[in-house]
Amino acid sequence: MLPILSLIVLIPLIFAALTLLTKTKEQARSLALVATVAVLLLTVYMYFNFDSSIASNQFEELAQWVPSLGITYHLGVDGVSMPLILLNAIVLPLLILFTWNDERKSPNKFYACILATEGAVIGVFTALDFFLFYVFWELTLIPLFFMVSIWGGPNKHHAAIKFFIYTHVASLVMLLGIFGLYFASWDMTGVPSLDIPTLIAQFQYIESGIAKDMIFLALLFGFIVKIPSFPFHSWLPDAYTEAPTAGSVLFVMLKIGGYGLFKIMLPMLPFTASPNLMITILAVLGSVSIIYGAFLALSQKDLKRMVAYSSVSHMGYVTLGAAGLVSLSVSGAMFQQFSHGLIMSIMFMSCGVINNATGTRIINDLGGLAQKMPKLATIMLFTFMASLGLPGLTGFVAEVSVLAGSFVNLPVYVIIALLAIVITAAYHLWAFQRTMFGVYNEKLGTVFDINRYQTLSMGIIAILILYFGFNPSPVFDMMLTNSEHIISLMAVVGV
Amino acid sequence: MDLMLFAPELSLVITGLAVLLIGLFIPTESKKILGYIATLGVIVALFFTVSSLGTQATAFYDTVSIDALSQFFKIVFLVVALLFTISGIKYTEGNSNTEEFFTLGLFATTGMMFVASANDLMVLFIAFELASLATYALVGFEKKNPKSLEAALKYFIIGALSGALMLLGISYLYGATGTTSIPGIAANADILVSSPMGLVAVVLLIAGFGFKIALVPFHMWAPDTYQGAPSVVSALLAAGSKKMGIVAALKIFVVALIALQAQWQIAFAILAVVTMTYGNVVALRQTSVKRMLAYSSLAQAGYITMAFVVLTPLALGGGIFYALSHGFMKAGAFIATAAVVYMVLSENKDSTDPDHIDNFKGLGRRMPITAMCMTLFVFALAGIPVTAGFMSKFILFSSTIKAGFVWLAVIAILNSAISLYYYAKVVKYMYFLPTDSERVSEPFPYTIAMIIAAIGVLVLGFWPEPFVYWAMEAAKVLIPGGF
Repeated sequence: MLPILSLIVLIPLIFAALTLLTKTKEQARSLALVATVAVLLLTVYMYFNFDSSIASNQFEELAQWVPSLGITYHLGVDGVSMPLILLNAIVLPLLILFTWNDERKSPNKFYACILATEGAVIGVFTALDFFLFYVFWELTLIPLFFMVSIWGGPNKHHAAIKFFIYTHVASLVMLLGIFGLYFASWDMTGVPSLDIPTLIAQFQYIESGIAKDMIFLALLFGFIVKIPSFPFHSWLPDAYTEAPTAGSVLFVMLKIGGYGLFKIMLPMLPFTASPNLMITILAVLGSVSIIYGAFLALSQKDLKRMVAYSSVSHMGYVTLGAAGLVSLSVSGAMFQQFSHGLIMSIMFMSCGVINNATGTRIINDLGGLAQKMPKLATIMLFTFMASLGLPGLTGFVAEVSVLAGSFVNLPVYVIIALLAIVITAAYHLWAFQRTMFGVYNEKLGTVFDINRYQTLSMGIIAILILYFGFNPSPVFDMMLTNSEHIISLMAVVGV
Repeated sequence: MDLMLFAPELSLVITGLAVLLIGLFIPTESKKILGYIATLGVIVALFFTVSSLGTQATAFYDTVSIDALSQFFKIVFLVVALLFTISGIKYTEGNSNTEEFFTLGLFATTGMMFVASANDLMVLFIAFELASLATYALVGFEKKNPKSLEAALKYFIIGALSGALMLLGISYLYGATGTTSIPGIAANADILVSSPMGLVAVVLLIAGFGFKIALVPFHMWAPDTYQGAPSVVSALLAAGSKKMGIVAALKIFVVALIALQAQWQIAFAILAVVTMTYGNVVALRQTSVKRMLAYSSLAQAGYITMAFVVLTPLALGGGIFYALSHGFMKAGAFIATAAVVYMVLSENKDSTDPDHIDNFKGLGRRMPITAMCMTLFVFALAGIPVTAGFMSKFILFSSTIKAGFVWLAVIAILNSAISLYYYAKVVKYMYFLPTDSERVSEPFPYTIAMIIAAIGVLVLGFWPEPFVYWAMEAAKVLIPGGF
């Protein structure tokens, strides 16, 4: 059988190298489009051959790599990773289209960075060996670091270094957790193994409760910094805001923190020494992120920064839903990742368009743009509605599932989060009103609406938001299967 | 006795003498050939060493032993020597003393190789001095450059002192046990444990080796010497000579003095922590790339020293594997710096600090291959995955946790996070800071040496299995019994 997972990881990485060698913008963008479309086709093929009724890993590939240390080349997808791979595979070709006519320095490096990020992120989603997982995890850093520091905004160097060091330290702490798990299992079985399913299964047999909690918290730290969750979110506004539009979209596609939460943390959670404490930690981080992110977004002057903080708030639902620990809340949280990826892509694209057209993103300097940019205004209004949770769109499905599901176990935290919904609506509508409606600010000069490539790419994503909002089951079913599997583990221990 | 056992050393000595003789009779313009001969000699030696992997033998009345440990380190030294001779071809271009440069380099490598196979403290000391004397002269190779001379003098004085301390330590061991044979001392360890002479010897030997490995507080010479010496020689010092100190310390402490483990283990723990932290923190502020690499080299030595603290076969194997990785990474980084220095000096003969980080501005455009390789080397030194540096840190740090030294692993991991800052700074200068200067042609031999080192870094990162296997075999020599 075709090694389909290897292909969707390697095609972007190989094409990234090829793209570096190109000389012109035309060659670079064509190569990038070819690679991302190839990944999309393979992913769609995989999606239709994916059995969403079973929770185990599918399309597995296994080969020995460093036997003496138990390192293997092990890939596979399940209901947690499949939707995220699909998300990346769909958005990336559209992102290339979105940037089709942009003028920028060294386009070959630019597209190479996009492709390398795609390969690395899909690598994280498919890796079933901790070594491979960590390699891809760290590999995501490098192209994004370059993305911010070459094509970023005025404060790019600070943002790039902050992002790099912040998340690198978190990764190192996560690595400590991996080591702990690795050796605890090595001591018990006498065989070194870094296989993720094996190690997760071994986790419950570790005798020392302190060791279990330390391992759990170390891994958790690595993931929540990447999500990012309050109080480790401070790299995000800088990085998201300073990154070029494509970079911001790539950051949004970087769902590896939440992925780790579902794939690795939740199956381990019931076997920690103090599961209730861990649930409380997650619930507090989630609900505080939701409300704190919303308040910060409300107070921003820069449109893109507002969107970045709204991202902190939205990702809070992921953490809260994971802590909710019923299958509805967990699958809702997984769906929130998917939905957030689609919505935020358009949000950041819109910010990028406004910045290019008017030269500013300061909300108060804008105004009346809807008159000059009707197409952008339509798509943006649609996305803002999706983002604030209008029924019929994906954001609603995800947030309702999370809040309704979590209410069973965590009523207090859900009520706190509910307060944020008002604020979320407020900052979205207020920002939209001030930028798009009212009197056109003549100082902005002549502005042009989005070009057809941008319309096409933003339009397709908007249609998908609508489609999955009405009919989430194509991805929601597999998420549900996996979250029921996770919850069944809880039942065994009786948490 | 089978002379073939010493084929690698013999080919180096013969090549060294041949280079010296030929150099006397040919004019300066055609001395380039000497570099090729030296390179060929190293390749032959490397071939002999690799083809005899797995041999187990002793020679010269058990004073020299050929085993997995010695062979692994011989490969480390020969790889470094190879990079040294290849890049030396360019460095010595037009120099009338070319033959001395290569002969000294080859003799230094021979000395290091004999240290790796020494089974007797006297052989070890003499080989150590052979390597040291050759490198003293190499550091001062630029006779007209005051910095080079200062570096050589400092290195020589400190080196002589450390040699004296070491010899004094050895004499205590001999006085107590009546033998200089390493297994012999291990067999008589009870005498050392019961008498204060053992402790005195340990203190003297730690100081002696501490100078060579450049552990804080015995490191003062290293930054000055690495900075003042020609970059190619710094590569030999940091990547080769330092490993000689490590293999000698492994032999003396882990084999001969294992009974005194309680006394020296804690000393090494403190030295490791202080060295890696000091090295990384001071490296943050350097503006000279060579000096920065010197401090980073301290930090790396600190990591390797962790193997002495943990003392499990996995940790020792990890430390030994780290030595090989570090050979590639550090030699590569110094050679890349040498290429930049060469470029700067060829543009402006009077440049006083050609390795200043400002000269790396826009290197990505000016010297793309050099910049790409340098990026790979510094990322490897920082421990970014799929490089040799990550693999070695992975094994070494994880073995530290396995043995229960979680605090040590945490300090080491925090240190590698700090180190990322100054390594990333080099990359930032090379790719993000603009320059007006034009693209220059990259000196060919330097490029070859860098590419070899880069391939080594990637191979060790992607496919470490055979190397890890041999490192573990080498560790089994130190601690028989294995896992």
